[in-house]
Amino acid sequence: MARKTAKPPAGRPAAAAGDGASSAPPTPATGKRFVQTTVDVEGREEVKIVELPSFEPPPWGSDAQLGIVGARVARRDGVEKVTGRARYTADIVRPRMLHAAILRAPVASGRVTRLELDSARGMAGVHAVIARADIPELRVAGFPLLDGTIHYAGQPLAALCAETAELAARALHAIGLEVESTPHAVTAEDALSPDAPVVRGTGNRTEDSPALSERGDVARGLAAADVTITREYRTPVALHSALEPHGTVAEWDGDRLTVWESTQGIFRVRSDLASALGLPLNKVRVIKEYMGGGFGAKNGAGAHCYLAALLARRTERPVRCILDREGEQTDTGNRPATIQKVTLGATRDGRLTAIVLDAVVALGIGGWEGGPAGIYRELYRCPNVRTSETFAYINASAMSAFRAPGHAEGAFGLERAMDTLASELGMDPLELRRVNYADHDQAKGRPYTSKRLDDCYRAGAERFGWSDRRRLTETRNGPRPRGFGMASQIWNAGGGPPAYAMVRVNGDGTIDVITGSQDLGTGTRTIFAQIAAEAMGAALADVRVILGDTEAPFTSNSWGSITTASVGPAVRMAAMDARGQLLEAAAGLLGVGGGVDAEQLEARDSVIRVRVCGQDRRITFAELGKELGDVMIIGRGSRGPNPDGSTISCFSAHFVEVEVERETGVVRVLRHVAAHDSGRIINPTLAESQLEGGIIQGLGYALFEERVLDSRLGIPLNPTLHDYKVPTMLDVPAIDAFCLDVPDVAANHTGAKGLSEPPLIPTAPAIANAVADALGIEVNEIPLTPWRVLAASTERI
Amino acid sequence: MHLHVNGQEHELSLPDHTTLLSALRDHLELTGAKLVCDRGECGACTVLLDGAPVYACLTLAAACAGQEVTTIEGLAPGGGELHPLQSAFIDNDALQCGFCTPGQILAAIALLREKPGASEEDVVRWMSGNLCRCGTYPKIVRAILSQSAEAAHGA
Repeated sequence: MARKTAKPPAGRPAAAAGDGASSAPPTPATGKRFVQTTVDVEGREEVKIVELPSFEPPPWGSDAQLGIVGARVARRDGVEKVTGRARYTADIVRPRMLHAAILRAPVASGRVTRLELDSARGMAGVHAVIARADIPELRVAGFPLLDGTIHYAGQPLAALCAETAELAARALHAIGLEVESTPHAVTAEDALSPDAPVVRGTGNRTEDSPALSERGDVARGLAAADVTITREYRTPVALHSALEPHGTVAEWDGDRLTVWESTQGIFRVRSDLASALGLPLNKVRVIKEYMGGGFGAKNGAGAHCYLAALLARRTERPVRCILDREGEQTDTGNRPATIQKVTLGATRDGRLTAIVLDAVVALGIGGWEGGPAGIYRELYRCPNVRTSETFAYINASAMSAFRAPGHAEGAFGLERAMDTLASELGMDPLELRRVNYADHDQAKGRPYTSKRLDDCYRAGAERFGWSDRRRLTETRNGPRPRGFGMASQIWNAGGGPPAYAMVRVNGDGTIDVITGSQDLGTGTRTIFAQIAAEAMGAALADVRVILGDTEAPFTSNSWGSITTASVGPAVRMAAMDARGQLLEAAAGLLGVGGGVDAEQLEARDSVIRVRVCGQDRRITFAELGKELGDVMIIGRGSRGPNPDGSTISCFSAHFVEVEVERETGVVRVLRHVAAHDSGRIINPTLAESQLEGGIIQGLGYALFEERVLDSRLGIPLNPTLHDYKVPTMLDVPAIDAFCLDVPDVAANHTGAKGLSEPPLIPTAPAIANAVADALGIEVNEIPLTPWRVLAASTERI
Repeated sequence: MHLHVNGQEHELSLPDHTTLLSALRDHLELTGAKLVCDRGECGACTVLLDGAPVYACLTLAAACAGQEVTTIEGLAPGGGELHPLQSAFIDNDALQCGFCTPGQILAAIALLREKPGASEEDVVRWMSGNLCRCGTYPKIVRAILSQSAEAAHGA
């Protein structure tokens, strides 16, 4: 039976039906209602205040009898998406709407010497042209919006809006722009060299660079090593390249602002806008019903969003501002480039005695310190670890989170180094990883809520045929040798508070789940519907999920793979709360002449039945709704704190087979097996889609994707989808990606953890390890484009 | 100019250089075709012109006179029964964010019209001009093959 707090609302939650078993009390001995907890977000730990939920649903353990959760039900918004009815931001049309365009800096560093706006202002159909002097002080990445000082190529300098998008684009050409270039630095090496130009007033590195971390005694660890390797690894700048560009439609109604935005965080956009424009939060509404991909780049209001709001206020008309592809590929964030100098020391039997990382990260003109060191401290057992990260500012647009920021970069260096070490030791790469299995979180000195990486190794290796792999291929000496590689992964994706949900029962017995979360294409709508239907005892078809609107209860950004584990428990609790009320109401109606209380009722498939032997009384949700008239049953749910003193992580092991054409250097991935531990899986089909997508993005990172800035001019050379290569259908291997699907009930009561980012992390190193295996060489830099593979092969000769 | 779209005749007064994509999205409110790269690199604007796939961003509306344009909205008009390939995309979870989906479905319909018994290799080659950044490719292949006569017979 679910435990109630001291003064529970009568009748809730119902203990009847399947969703009932005993659970630990949520309230600590202190009796405090608001407590602190920690939440891992995008590789960093955040402290949050959380209100203890009024009751704690019992955990859905391995033995829970669940019918809808865990089922392969179809995506809820499938029909909207296959018919073109799903409306994305650029599809939103408002009456009298204008279209905005942004003038961008043509050089990497310098200043605007002339900005002549009058010609554009005089064009018929152009309604407003704005530059720095026309807008309030407003900062983006630490610099004033529309700054006259140029910090990177592509920086917004002016904006305008016109009757049509085409006219707006044409009007940009009427703006007279002259700039004076100053020396720039677009690589970390350049920015950190002694004679580097000043990239940022505060210095060319962040204030706390180098960020240091050490445990144990690395010198001693290295002295104890039988084998030591030192290598330098390099990773490129990767671009999110979501097909839907960043975009906003902004509309004012008096002093109230409504914004349609392609975003992973409607509440973040709301607070960004409110604070920038000096508005109370309840005068800004942000809506995002559908979005065409985010991958970390759409976590707050960007320049385009502020500009749309400002232009709309100025013209008193709705304004749509959608980035063009070049703007999208140039100025919406990226995965920053890294240089990782790695030293590993190990005993003859493979036990790591020391890990040393000295990394440089090229942030761009701004950004946060999401570096590669985390995974070096976490993934393998090692008593002596020292990491150093220097974050350099360069004259390029600011970095942002990109699917497992930091860990994806770090995994490449660490997992390549592990393979090189295995080779030096003459050990199987998988065996080396098993020997160094970390049974607790060494970085924080505490246990994991659960860790099944060993099962991932076992299941993945078996499905792949790892131990037999040499027999699977004929030869490594032909023109197209094959190679095998593997890598593993950790990512703290346990989610956490704050997250709130409401469940509303309508007069006809249908159910609305209302939460201010967002579905990026991950399947959030479907997952929440399944959780709510399961917890409610409702038919899935009766449940609608309303999200993507700040009019709904708060949840945080959909980032860090946290949504299912953060909001899912709140949805479940809200549904249980609503069900409790529904059963209580039913007890009164069904009890005529029989005397039934809510505890004797069960709900399944939107029908409430009496669970007493020999009784067959029942009432459907619809009948009950009709009886209740306009009584509004509203269930309320919130996400409780994370467990104290333990770390919630997700794990996986990937195994890859590649073929490399020796003469051309072309790499083809043939097979990719991925075994994941992400706790309970709410919908295996959606989970597999996520895993496959993450692997394919990781494949792009391994083989093709690299933003190229011209070092002399400092401008991007490949801001298109033709020149910035993302994987196509032709590049995809046979993928066998699966989840262990074992609930982690210590993490949260649904037992689910995140799985959006994890599959990307080990993909690139597993592929690189396979390429190294195929050619018998070392590959220390991605992407493994043909020329880079050829260059690496030649070095060996 | 006259545009025949999804079985309906439209008379539009547009500048000669208006693209088919702009005519559909901005003037006929058919927003299923998406503007992504604006230069024929991604396939998200794919529509059918007399049954053959074209990049609407690279096609002039004026050049479509006398031909039948089919957009995603024309496959199951008025909320009617879905085209079998639309159902196959849902059944196989061949979509994530859904932004590229209209273009993927129309390109695949054109393939199956030209080659009803398309093999996996045919599918992969034909569809390689339609990008999906969510990486839904394996399931898109599966969805299309489920509608291929050859695959159906082979099963």
